[in-house]
Amino acid sequence: MTDGEPLLKLERIKKHFGAIEALRGVDMTVSRGEVVALLGDNGAGKSTLVKIIAGTYPPSSGRLMFEGEERYFASPKEAKAAGIETVYQDLSLCTNADVVANFFMGREITKRYLGIPVLQEREMEKVVAEAMRNAGTKIPSLRVNVENLSGGQRQAIELNRFVHWGGKLVVLDEPFAALGVEQTRRGLEMIRRVAAGGIGVIVITHIMEQAFQVADRLVVIRQGAVAGDLKREETTPEKVIDLITGGTLSDAGTDGDGGNSDPAYQREKTRL
Amino acid sequence: MSPARRATIEFLLDNLVWLMLIVVLAVFSATIPNYFQFGIFANIFEQSTFVGVMAIGLAIVIIAGNLDLSVESTAALSAMVTGMLFASSGVGMGISFSPAWLMPVVSLLIALAVGGIIGFLNGFFVIRVGMSAFIVTLASFIWVRGLVVAISGGRSAQNLAPSIRIIGMEDILGVPLLAWISVLCFAIFAFVMAKTTFGRYITLVGGNKDATFRAGINSDRILWSSFIVAGVLAGLAGWLLAIRTSGATANLGVGMLFNAFAAVVIGGVSLKGGIGKLPGVYAGVLLLYSIHTAINLMGLPAHFTQMILGGLVLAAVLLDTFKLRLREKLL
Repeated sequence: MTDGEPLLKLERIKKHFGAIEALRGVDMTVSRGEVVALLGDNGAGKSTLVKIIAGTYPPSSGRLMFEGEERYFASPKEAKAAGIETVYQDLSLCTNADVVANFFMGREITKRYLGIPVLQEREMEKVVAEAMRNAGTKIPSLRVNVENLSGGQRQAIELNRFVHWGGKLVVLDEPFAALGVEQTRRGLEMIRRVAAGGIGVIVITHIMEQAFQVADRLVVIRQGAVAGDLKREETTPEKVIDLITGGTLSDAGTDGDGGNSDPAYQREKTRL
Repeated sequence: MSPARRATIEFLLDNLVWLMLIVVLAVFSATIPNYFQFGIFANIFEQSTFVGVMAIGLAIVIIAGNLDLSVESTAALSAMVTGMLFASSGVGMGISFSPAWLMPVVSLLIALAVGGIIGFLNGFFVIRVGMSAFIVTLASFIWVRGLVVAISGGRSAQNLAPSIRIIGMEDILGVPLLAWISVLCFAIFAFVMAKTTFGRYITLVGGNKDATFRAGINSDRILWSSFIVAGVLAGLAGWLLAIRTSGATANLGVGMLFNAFAAVVIGGVSLKGGIGKLPGVYAGVLLLYSIHTAINLMGLPAHFTQMILGGLVLAAVLLDTFKLRLREKLL
């Protein structure tokens, strides 16, 4: 495996729901240890793209290369097995169960008695307690049902969950929507820490400031296609906002895919 | 509020139905002549068997976030199949073979299979076809009962083979074997729900199906299994009913669905899904039959039973709302 080969490479990914074309051919890469911010207006297709990467549904056409191999994920389970962890915008917690059950969802520690998998609650609780301690998350009791926790605490559980389970690529869909200032700062640090460990990260966010704080590269999606793929050092928030809205204030290029004259974008495009 | 006190209140709230059962039994024992005796309690136990076994399956489906209205008809079909194969009078064919101990085993397996098939079909339409569980199982409730009438021609099967019926006549420690069977079922499934991954997934799927799917749990398979489990348990209930009545009639078990539903709700299972524990459901069944028995002993007309049961279900749902509010205040 060469160094230059990206961890994840999307080629001409298209997705349509009936007559609606949500993605119109997306090309994008993520390398190991790289944080890519995915930006775009509401309805631009970010969440659809995330769901295709996470295996929730397949693309209508196009190729998904993971670790240099063409992959097809029929379910989130397969994507997870390949090493892709996803944190969704609408939280993926079962509020009727306690913190431990949620943390271990789908990965319970069991011991077989007569072939029956029996849950090892104490062991699981220990692991969760340690993970929470390491992340500096305070939760009154790990045995309390998640419905009794605040939005921030819930999001913290989810973030801790992905940090703990790791994987090779992490996709975060607006991970800080419910977090306070301090928690957000810690969350951003956490992303950098995860990336420093060689894991690729895709962060979806609406907040330009966060994107510039955390990302190595910014990919802008507009109307189902990549409108810009820029290195952080080579761009400015104003430029990115133009790309998101389709405005041409700072650039004289034409609107939409292919017509973009941003030099960084052109370079990325030829490399692909 | 101190954590210890909060824990006590939580514990009481979680086990409220047991508290109610104890209070009700105490009040009945004190006020109704002849209520307080071993025979009465043993009888409550035995009566609870059929609805109890059925209620386990129903509770599991409801905890998984669905609904199964077909359990009563499924039980009737299993009972009728058992009766038609192994009873000697009426529409019974009186099949018999040796060794005799094999007969209860074979008849049980057939009854469970019948229930399992109905559960499988329900699961197919709900999960594969994507129809509403309410409609699918309501349809099953009707067509399965229709099948019972059709295969029996509306007649009954009597005189179940003695080698099978013996199960309904034995007792252990003065309590009928039938009652012990339901206790055993509750013990097994309470363990499955609380301590195994299957039980954990049922609860999680009932809480948030999308989340479990994203976490890599095959949520459809879990849901489908819950319907099959409910069908198999209804099949068991039907087999027990056939033994108890030494055969089957075309209208056997009519009204059991309502009792099972009442027990499940009184037992603390939320119809929203994801919430409920099986020991509570058992307490709910016992509570129901304690009241039934009291009404019988007092010589009240049977119509009152329905009114009281209806009131109880309403009270149980009210209590559930009240408990939620109290809990919110506590935490």
